[in-house]
Amino acid sequence: MLKKTQKTRVALMKNQSFDLSRRKLLLGALQATGLVLFSGCEKMFNGLQQNRKFLSLLESAEGANRRVQKFLTGRNKLAQEFTEKDISRYFKPNGNPPPLAMDYMADAASQWQSWRLEVSGLAQSPHSFSLTELKSMPARTQITRHDCVEGWSAIGKWKGVRLEEIMRRVQPQPRAKYVVFHCMDTDSDGTHYYESIDLEDAVHPQTILAYEMNDAPLPLEHGAPLRLRLENQLGYKMAKYIRAIEFVADLKNIQQGKGGYWEDQGYEWFAGI
Amino acid sequence: MESLVYRHNRITRLTHWINAVALLVLFMSGLQIFNAFPELHWGSKAEPDEAFFSIAATNEDAEVRGYTHLFGLKFDTTGLLGVQNTATGPSPRAFPSWITIPGYFWLAGGRRWHFFFGWIFTINGVLYFLYNVLNGHMRKFLFTLKDAIQVPAMIAYYLRLRRESPQKGEYNPLQKMAYTSVFVILTPLVLLSGLAMSPQLDIAFNWLPAAFAGRQSARTVHFILAFGFLFFTFGHVFMVLTTGFLNNMRSMVTGWHNEKIAPTIEVAPETPVAPSPTAPSLSIEGEGKGEEEPENIASHQTSEPELKADAQENPKDEGGVNEKSKF
Repeated sequence: MLKKTQKTRVALMKNQSFDLSRRKLLLGALQATGLVLFSGCEKMFNGLQQNRKFLSLLESAEGANRRVQKFLTGRNKLAQEFTEKDISRYFKPNGNPPPLAMDYMADAASQWQSWRLEVSGLAQSPHSFSLTELKSMPARTQITRHDCVEGWSAIGKWKGVRLEEIMRRVQPQPRAKYVVFHCMDTDSDGTHYYESIDLEDAVHPQTILAYEMNDAPLPLEHGAPLRLRLENQLGYKMAKYIRAIEFVADLKNIQQGKGGYWEDQGYEWFAGI
Repeated sequence: MESLVYRHNRITRLTHWINAVALLVLFMSGLQIFNAFPELHWGSKAEPDEAFFSIAATNEDAEVRGYTHLFGLKFDTTGLLGVQNTATGPSPRAFPSWITIPGYFWLAGGRRWHFFFGWIFTINGVLYFLYNVLNGHMRKFLFTLKDAIQVPAMIAYYLRLRRESPQKGEYNPLQKMAYTSVFVILTPLVLLSGLAMSPQLDIAFNWLPAAFAGRQSARTVHFILAFGFLFFTFGHVFMVLTTGFLNNMRSMVTGWHNEKIAPTIEVAPETPVAPSPTAPSLSIEGEGKGEEEPENIASHQTSEPELKADAQENPKDEGGVNEKSKF
């Protein structure tokens, strides 16, 4: 009770002075708020962004997103499939342009005669597939929406072989946890693109290695001769210009260890949102 | 002589400030994410020539200018949208650095902030909601048909066309309308439109993007609702400033509000304040079932470090910005 009376008195004193210079105080408060908001905040947010501990706190949301979303989704739910008339007039070819390496250009010129998809790693019977071999396997065609991390979406028609079909032939070992895609394209520094997904996503019915887009052979800029379609995640997970597939138990020893080219630069490995 | 009233309990104050920080971060990091694709579309896909809103920079006679396009109209927004004037000259970017998190262009960073504070906003909101439903406080500011009828009278009162306020209880009809629309429309829709952009959730819930007429529409709705929150916040802050700023701030920081300072917007500093009877407002306060009595709370009023946690981090060098091109 004593405390309360003191509080009352202090409050009343404050309020008297407040009434006298109300306008001044208000203006001051506004100015201060503006200053804090527009200059201080930017510095603070940028500083926090560079702070390792704070960043890993922010990054902890990725695990929560993955667990909760996977829990809510369940297994083998299919992404919406669209109709022919929904297909985008323009589909932005994002990421690295087609490789300029001589062997890539030569392979492209020869309709991928000497190109091989090398499947290895923790597998019982590793194998190299020619494009003809892949095309002779059961195919799946789907018209799906592609969501880029930048925010845009485009709809395309894809035909390819299910990744599960490949797995049935090479028999991953029980130790294998991830599928890694090694790609032929590089960034301007010469770093090769790569990506990885888990086995649950790998066996999803709509997860395919596409060799056709919109009823034509996969265009160079869209990842010829073979690219991944992974309909439950963002575009950067869908490796293009695939050269090899590797089954691994963990991702630590591949490039910078985060499981993908963009992941190594701070993007989420789980790109479900 | 009672003049201080215990207006906001600890949970209300704590969730209020957490919400304020979360909304600020979500808005600013959201604009960072928007900058990666500064266009709005309707439907499932984004055809480049079908954007109804876009921000772009163009090079004209070696001069960079920023333009904002809306439904075929073109506005020169150089300096604010499209092109920002920096110390090193004009720099093309949709929303300027002072309103994005982080300040430089880094989509991955913006996403990390956005998804982390999305959880904070959601968990905090659920706690607030449960607490206020359970203690019956929610009923006091839910907008009902009775309030709807009172809306014209309340507007007339604010416009000084009417002498006495139609307000009964703690919240006036317009306040109730604002708060209720935030709870019932803005918040659920902003969460759902955000989740509708998740391809992982979309495979399980095909209806989710469809409910917004497609993923790109969901993105558009999400963007517009973000400005709905901004609009509400401006109104909210305006009212806080005009109805006794320090008194209001104190009540949201310490819980104590001085009822002797007339809480209406009528009061100019020159006019003597008529001492309003505090007894009625006190008795209204007493009705709140779960609310703590002033006596109970007075002992732990010493420190309120709610907002400080973020500010204490040492903002270090801004250098070493890993600016990577889009993909």
